[in-house]
Amino acid sequence: MPGPAFFFYDERELFMAECDVKKIDVGDGAAIPEPDDRGMVSAWWIALLGTIGLLIALPLKDPSTYGRVLTFIPDGVLVTFEVTILSISLALVIGLLTGLGRISKNRFINLAASLYVEVVRGIPLLVQLFYIYFALGRFVRVPDIMAAVIAMSFCYGAYMGEVFRAGIKSIDFGQSEAALSQGFNQAQTMRYVILPQAWRTILPPVGNEFIALLKDTSLVSILAVSDILRRGREYAAESFNYFETYTMIALVYLLITLILSKIISIMEQRLSHYEKR
Amino acid sequence: MKNADPIIRIKNIDKYFGTFKALDNVSLDVTPGEKVVVLGPSGSGKSTLLRSINQLETIDSGTIIVDGHDLSDPAEDINRIRMEMGMVFQSFNLYKHKTVLENLTLAPIKLKNMTESQANELGLTLLDKVGIREKADSYPVMLSGGQQQRVAIARALAMEPKIMLFDEPTSALDPEMIGEVLEVMVALAKEGMTMVVVTHEMGFAREVADQVVFMDEGAIVEVGTPDHFFENPTHERTILFLEQIL
Repeated sequence: MPGPAFFFYDERELFMAECDVKKIDVGDGAAIPEPDDRGMVSAWWIALLGTIGLLIALPLKDPSTYGRVLTFIPDGVLVTFEVTILSISLALVIGLLTGLGRISKNRFINLAASLYVEVVRGIPLLVQLFYIYFALGRFVRVPDIMAAVIAMSFCYGAYMGEVFRAGIKSIDFGQSEAALSQGFNQAQTMRYVILPQAWRTILPPVGNEFIALLKDTSLVSILAVSDILRRGREYAAESFNYFETYTMIALVYLLITLILSKIISIMEQRLSHYEKR
Repeated sequence: MKNADPIIRIKNIDKYFGTFKALDNVSLDVTPGEKVVVLGPSGSGKSTLLRSINQLETIDSGTIIVDGHDLSDPAEDINRIRMEMGMVFQSFNLYKHKTVLENLTLAPIKLKNMTESQANELGLTLLDKVGIREKADSYPVMLSGGQQQRVAIARALAMEPKIMLFDEPTSALDPEMIGEVLEVMVALAKEGMTMVVVTHEMGFAREVADQVVFMDEGAIVEVGTPDHFFENPTHERTILFLEQIL
């Protein structure tokens, strides 16, 4: 779940404006290593090698327990990725609309977007999952995975909205004025000038959200969605090897988030080419 | 030239920021090809006046008519009117995510449906004109302030405007870079561009201006030719200002 750091965006914006440092870099996902941060990089390597080592060594040592867990997990990994990718895609769309709504001068749109953010932020994700899952169930019959995706993206869309809002607001107002003075309308200014620059600012927190969302998909195992955790629980329930099961599950999640955080860090560097002197 | 119909006609405009009166009953006509230099102490409303002309600020009363279009008429498309006016800002405001050439070509491609090759050709010609063609593929952050401002002028010219508005174009520059920007502006003036320039560069005002406008406390205090303005100013506040600045 994205943490309380988000409630401090306003102060952060002010602070960043003063320092002329316009990067949002908070999050509760796995730490995204900065290339020049030696300590972080080596911690990342130790964690990665340790995780891979344990994932290989434990099943070799005890194939009947650790080894068997691994045979259950792969299709769960696919489901976890499916839910994560669908949810983050939908959440990005909702987030963009919400972020634009939150900076809109139209009072009604602004209020609607703000209300959505306030309500979603105030309810625990697990409660929202149950609520949307069963509320949806009363009216329409949707596949379990779809229900999970809708619930996840509804929740993450609100947080993503705040990320977009902060990202858009971090772009110097002069950029808008320059575009407007050339004859671009508001929408064109947003599309051609502001969003391409905001995307750079937004990427680190979006990456954090992506990783946080991936971890939070473990909650959907409660909703009859066969993700990594549910597959593990299925195995544990029949074998009673709880300790071995959850050890392997933890290691699989860790491996995924470690790799993802690296990918995001690389993407971030690629996107910053126009900042280099 | 004075007999031509004004291309900008500003009549009795007022502008408030909260209770602060930024523009106080300002009227000004600019004829095609004319160079108007607006002087005055900081906070005198000269930037606000300039920004009102392309509606980056909306005025509270009075009328501004640009090339026959009344800015306060809701039926007028402000975006179309803005295409007729290039604006150069104190802080350059180049699009940071675009190369120098892309800064010039973005608006013509998107707003005038120019093809990329047409726009590139136009862009390179303009970069030649401001003497910075070799930086076409650089990003703005790699350029000095003076270079960025010259690119900003070229970017404004890429829309082939009828009027150029300059909002303190040299105020954010290191002294050694002011010359290169003024040079470009003087050349532009000699080509007959209609220009409204807010500046503290007295030399530029003397050399280029047809009309010097002195503002103080949101109002136009004195208007005249550079000769009149610098040699025989009549108003007390103008004299005081010139004493302080020269």
